[in-house]
Amino acid sequence: MDCIKKKVNEELERGWIGCNRDCEYNPCHFKGQDCTFCYCPFYPCGDTDLGNNITGRRGNDIWSCTDCLFIHRTDVCRHICSEVERLGITEAGDPRFKDIFRDVKERFWRRGRALMVVGATSDAGKSLMVTALCRILLRRGYLVAPFKSQNMSLNSRVTMYGCEIAMIQELQARAAGLTNPDAHMNPILLKPKGDTVSQVMVLGQPYGDYDVEHYYSDFVPGPGREIVAENIDFLKKRYDFVVMEGAGSPAEINIYDVDIANMRAAEIADADVVLVVNVEWGGSFAYALGTVELMPECDRKRVKGIILNNLRGNPANIMPGVREIEERLGIPVLGIVPHTRLDLPGEDSQSLRGLRTKGDGRAVVGVIRYPRIANFTDLDPLLLEDVTLRFVQTPEELEGVDAVVLPGTKNTVVDYLWMRETGLADAVAALRGRVPVMGICGGYQMMGRVLDDSLGIEGGEPRVLDGIGLFDNRTVFGEYSKRITQDSGHMAIGDGGEVTGYELHMGVTETSEKPLFRIDGFVAREAWDEGSVREDEMLFGTYLHGVFDRPSFRRHFLSLVRCEGGSAVREEPRDYVQSIEENLDKLADAVEQSLDMDALMGILGVGQ
Amino acid sequence: MKVLVLGTSSGAGKTTFTAMMCRYLSTHGHDPAPFKGSNLSLNSYATADGGEIGMGQAFQAWACGSEPVTDMNPVLLKPSGNGRIQLVLNGRPHSDISRESPMDKALVLRTVHEAFDRLSAEHDIVVCEGSGSPVELNLMERDVANTGLMRELSVPAVIVGDIERGGVFAAIYGTWRLMPEELRPLLKGFVINRFRGDASILGPGIERIEELTGMRCLGVLGYEFLRFPEEDSLSVSDGRFEGDDPLQAYLDNLDEMVSHAEGSGFDFEGFLEIARG
Repeated sequence: MDCIKKKVNEELERGWIGCNRDCEYNPCHFKGQDCTFCYCPFYPCGDTDLGNNITGRRGNDIWSCTDCLFIHRTDVCRHICSEVERLGITEAGDPRFKDIFRDVKERFWRRGRALMVVGATSDAGKSLMVTALCRILLRRGYLVAPFKSQNMSLNSRVTMYGCEIAMIQELQARAAGLTNPDAHMNPILLKPKGDTVSQVMVLGQPYGDYDVEHYYSDFVPGPGREIVAENIDFLKKRYDFVVMEGAGSPAEINIYDVDIANMRAAEIADADVVLVVNVEWGGSFAYALGTVELMPECDRKRVKGIILNNLRGNPANIMPGVREIEERLGIPVLGIVPHTRLDLPGEDSQSLRGLRTKGDGRAVVGVIRYPRIANFTDLDPLLLEDVTLRFVQTPEELEGVDAVVLPGTKNTVVDYLWMRETGLADAVAALRGRVPVMGICGGYQMMGRVLDDSLGIEGGEPRVLDGIGLFDNRTVFGEYSKRITQDSGHMAIGDGGEVTGYELHMGVTETSEKPLFRIDGFVAREAWDEGSVREDEMLFGTYLHGVFDRPSFRRHFLSLVRCEGGSAVREEPRDYVQSIEENLDKLADAVEQSLDMDALMGILGVGQ
Repeated sequence: MKVLVLGTSSGAGKTTFTAMMCRYLSTHGHDPAPFKGSNLSLNSYATADGGEIGMGQAFQAWACGSEPVTDMNPVLLKPSGNGRIQLVLNGRPHSDISRESPMDKALVLRTVHEAFDRLSAEHDIVVCEGSGSPVELNLMERDVANTGLMRELSVPAVIVGDIERGGVFAAIYGTWRLMPEELRPLLKGFVINRFRGDASILGPGIERIEELTGMRCLGVLGYEFLRFPEEDSLSVSDGRFEGDDPLQAYLDNLDEMVSHAEGSGFDFEGFLEIARG
């Protein structure tokens, strides 16, 4: 406490400073945050709208306000500073801070408002519409959080607190300028294990496996609804707006009352709703009208606008239909968004369906397209270089590739059996020393000598398999537990450049190979070696998802590629993070220009 | 007998469903013929008599065990770029249409009607395929293959909805609702296509749509891996012909689908009842 007092005293003496861009941690919460009170003069305020008690190591209560954004709002900080000056306060702990707190909360704290984006179908463009709205609202000076109550996806990210959330909510949070996306933004994550069973993750941790029937009969009416309510409330207390994303169609009338991803979530959040319809496949007027009219009256009146998305062609051509649908539904069409080419990570494996290649560079990187491929967005940064990704399902398709990546999988053992059946395991082995081969997570496990699933934890039945054998590694699936962590460190080879990523896996790998990375320890953790490398044979393996995000390793890997006499590395290094930022702005621009923004801000309760 | 297969969108599965029905009928004592009033496609097939028709109808003809003829697709629209479209009537290039010189709808409908009549004189059932969604509000006036055909021939129709993208109930209901009232009585049934999982979960939704619209659900068809090219480029097919005899592979593929449909309890008899009118 004395340390905090000392810091607060320094802050009081210095007065209002706004956003401290010189600080190496800036922005530690959100872009443009006010840094005047890095240490809070109200600590511990005890106000549960802003923080909560956590249990300390000795079982004692500790007031935690790590998630509080209120003290980083400029209007709040300015007001506190002017009050401190007016009252002549010079010392932390002055009892009058209690009065200032009451006053400033009364003046500036408001529960946020929620807006929900639902789609007439999957792939309607909900995710990117939420992403765009997050960026648009950020640019207009608001604190905004994305939210999707329930997401089914095999593409996930790890938060700072070691929780797993869907990749797309992380991207949306990034669009909102938030530095630390958290599991509140996607409290329920479903990771499909087959056609009907999913692993249910709650607040980023494994909760249990459910089939469709039991998910709706047990999970939803039990903990599900409560989880949604709690997390929406959490976000509303901290943000001006919560932009929620629905899942699939909100008019699946066979599961309507147990669908906590769409209109039930809107009801819980008391959110107005906009409906996004993808016009690309046709039938969009039928989809729009059917979606709204199949809702019961109480839900239908929440729908305040329709957005027609992904139009290729002249909007004037569909205007007669637009007018008619507005008239029939009594709901305005807020805009027609043109098809926009963006380089942003794709959400789910549907976007890979039928996709054979991606990118148009000279070097062909073969990506093994297992049936249960996961976290394939790991590969996107390769497209910043002179690369074409070729998705490979047969040994023939592997012919002529300049490099190979074995990406992650939801199930290493089952997908490895598929690799053997298809002949891909042998085909990859035969490329040893000829082209660079990289295994990530499950792909790394497959590259080893042994996959020991003798308890049947990964594959369902006890099995010990010989792996591809590129590394002298042994992976043991010893217990039903999952490693979820964010890492950063350096390459143990090449120029020793920085690498960042995250681990999400079952199984532990014993290795005697040379390590690929040295991961920094922090707080209580020692630094450790990660991955495997055989430089002479151009073999690389790691558990780190996101391994290609930073240029150092990406360029090291691609520098080994020889294609048409040149290397696959582009002359001017491009930063993946920067590329995403540019694309987020491009997306926001396209949406902002296409929508009736006054009407949209009106729905959000702002202005006019 | 005649029946029209409509889709809730492009790529809903009309072409393959029509082919499957053709195959079923031809192997169950009928003499079916496929028909698509108007087809917008660059993917065409040359008939034995040197005419040009959409590739989809050629495949469907083979599914019927017959040779493709131009009457199966009397109007073919081939985009030639620059906003111009080549109009092919009865398999022969007729004229170029554009914004300045629009299609002569009366001529086109007459051509369609005559071709249909010739076809139905020779076959006991004509299975017609629609085009895109029948309720594109801005296109309905010009429509030939969907509402155009329904008006011209009073052909009863079934709607195929694609469940893979979700929103299939909304799509089917919305299609029914946006259908001009005088044509709505011709909408007799619907089919849910490309389902994965346990179909019993759909029960309450199907019942509700049946109640709301009076259409009957003919069945829920499972996801099928096609081993032949799909009609248009919108749906990218992973499939390809396998083996030495591509036509036989195609027919085998359709037979598999028929047997899957039979296994799932698809109401083939209901389809025939609708076709009988």
